[in-house]
Amino acid sequence: MVDAAAPSLVRAERGEAGTPPAWINRRGTRRVALVVCFLLPSLATFALYRVVPLFWNVVLSFQAWSPMKPARFVGWDNYEDLLFYDDVFWRALTNTLLWIAAAPVAIVLALGIALLVDSDLRGAGVYRTIVFLSYPLMTVAVAIIWRWMYDERGGLINWALRSAGFIEKPIAFLGNFDWALPCVLITDVWQVIGFYMIVLLTGLQAIPPHLYEAARVDGVPAYARFLRITLPLLRPSLFLCAVIGLLNSFTSFDLVYIMTNGGPGHATELLITYIYKLGFGQTRFDAAATATVVQFALLLVLTWLANHGAGGNAGAVERD
Amino acid sequence: MLGRRDVLKGAVAATALATPALAQSHKKIAFLTWNIIDQENLIRGWIKSFEAANPGVEIEWLDKKGPELPPFYQTQLAAGTPPDVINTQGGLWLEYAANGALLDLTPHMSEVQGRFNKDYLANWTYDGRNWMVPFYITKTLLFYNKPMFRKAGLDGPPNSFEALVAGAEKMAGADTTGFLTLNFDWLYWPLFAENDVHLLTPDLKKTAFNTPRTAEVVERLAKATENGGVNQISWTGRWVEPNGAFAAGNVGMLHAHSPAYFFFKGQGSWVNGDTLGVAQAPGYWATPNSHGLGVSKGSKNPELAWAFIKHVTDNQNAMRLAENRRILTGNTEVDQKLLARLKTEDPLVHAILLTQVEHTDKLVGNWRTPLDSRIKDAFWPELQSALLGRKPAKQALADADRRVSRELARV
Repeated sequence: MVDAAAPSLVRAERGEAGTPPAWINRRGTRRVALVVCFLLPSLATFALYRVVPLFWNVVLSFQAWSPMKPARFVGWDNYEDLLFYDDVFWRALTNTLLWIAAAPVAIVLALGIALLVDSDLRGAGVYRTIVFLSYPLMTVAVAIIWRWMYDERGGLINWALRSAGFIEKPIAFLGNFDWALPCVLITDVWQVIGFYMIVLLTGLQAIPPHLYEAARVDGVPAYARFLRITLPLLRPSLFLCAVIGLLNSFTSFDLVYIMTNGGPGHATELLITYIYKLGFGQTRFDAAATATVVQFALLLVLTWLANHGAGGNAGAVERD
Repeated sequence: MLGRRDVLKGAVAATALATPALAQSHKKIAFLTWNIIDQENLIRGWIKSFEAANPGVEIEWLDKKGPELPPFYQTQLAAGTPPDVINTQGGLWLEYAANGALLDLTPHMSEVQGRFNKDYLANWTYDGRNWMVPFYITKTLLFYNKPMFRKAGLDGPPNSFEALVAGAEKMAGADTTGFLTLNFDWLYWPLFAENDVHLLTPDLKKTAFNTPRTAEVVERLAKATENGGVNQISWTGRWVEPNGAFAAGNVGMLHAHSPAYFFFKGQGSWVNGDTLGVAQAPGYWATPNSHGLGVSKGSKNPELAWAFIKHVTDNQNAMRLAENRRILTGNTEVDQKLLARLKTEDPLVHAILLTQVEHTDKLVGNWRTPLDSRIKDAFWPELQSALLGRKPAKQALADADRRVSRELARV
């Protein structure tokens, strides 16, 4: 039997005149178009505020430019200057890496607290709230509070240490080359630990209880249950915490700016604070752009490593 | 009788007639100030009187805190819309002037002949030209705690660097220290100037500080810092911390500019004419940290902007600022009047402000180089390391030399 519709379908496939191509009529195509329409505002915003500035940064890093001078192409000069002659950059990079290294410490502490509040501990809900309370506080407020706590003259910490007889003279914690960075890191850990705890607690509560029951019936000891069940199933939560910790290390501008402004010397300088100083303190926007590109490259490498360490598919959408 | 339609027609016609006139005469300039929001009423008054004298002119006032002003101004420069009139503190203007962001005011200076203190006015010259005029003026001086001096057996303020450090060490105790200085914007430099230490060569092209004498001075200060003669906050604090420490009443001397008085007076109940001494730093050296007013080169109405500066700094308006803030304005006539009045009204403030117009030929730490902020950022962390005992003085100076030389080579 001859299909009467066949010739028109063939014409449509070919996109002959007068008939729209078949792919336009396909349901899938229309769906994709609809999705794109919904995504477009977000994609446009993302492009405008992320992609374009990043691209502009890369362009700027190969130029000599300040708001008061026209741009001039200088090739790799800015990179050479930054990587081979700028010791403050290396100091800031080292501090940023130390900041990143502090994230696992915070995650381990948060995991311990999460395990505690997930247990049958009396008043667990209260502890959970207390620990989490630090996170919603504004970072600027946290920085000011801790700056006064560390203060040499009227700070709570110095007062406590002197009252307990541990020290005779007050310590200028934030003005001391050895103490400043650990003190700022402690503040950072204190603030972020509540968030890590909530993420890990959610992960813990998502682990099916029957797995623990089966292991218990089989006589598996507690540490083995933790290593064989809890940790593997917490991997997505741990990865999330690690990535947030990583991003936090690159964006902790406000905490450092308020508490120490990168000092004393450059003892607490992070890449992000140094980039700000290069741009707005020294009007070297080209050097700031170069440091930003280096920071971005570093962030990419570290995120890839974190993803690789988490099994290579972190963030993938699981389908039933 | 007029109907609703006629009234509307009339209103439209009136608007149409009035609009071209407004469009032709309406001019707007922006006035950017540096953290002076406490004088809102005064500034709005200046604006109102200027607008009244210049019909069709509108002035937009923007005030930014110290750390926010440079980023704001730079972004406005990049956007091609700099505020017409800008107020800066310290040496920030140098970079703007050297890179063509400010209007050369030299041709206009004859219009304000004799208005300003010439030494302070000279502070805003670069390349032989005037780029700004004084808005309000300050320089460093030495405040001292008289009861602490008496207790330590000190007769009066020190007249040499060694006397200053030795006196400070005499006052050091478990909860007391002898000396504090502000450290931003080269405010500590009089300590080095007194020892004949120079930061740069006279042509400002090479470093001149890496000498055995500088190392001695740094070592002496580091030693005094270690033994409590010099308070550590001198090298770690900025504004609140050192002034707050002096206000507590257990620091012998404070080397700061005149506005510091109003800060520590507010916190220190011990501060009065009997307990607070005022003197010049040894050698009469002082670092200015004044506020100036300039016009952006990108201004669309530079003549109007200059006219507004003249308005703000004239005798009447400058006097109001001087009275409100109890500060000198650089307007010679106004400052003399204020000092004469304070002599009887408030002798302590008079003594403080008098130091600001004495020995103005000995201003230091105000090098006329557009690289000022970069040199500062390269030099200070190394000096700070040595003063806090982190690095030997010689090594810190060598490192600072390398870093400052690198900045100088960028020109």
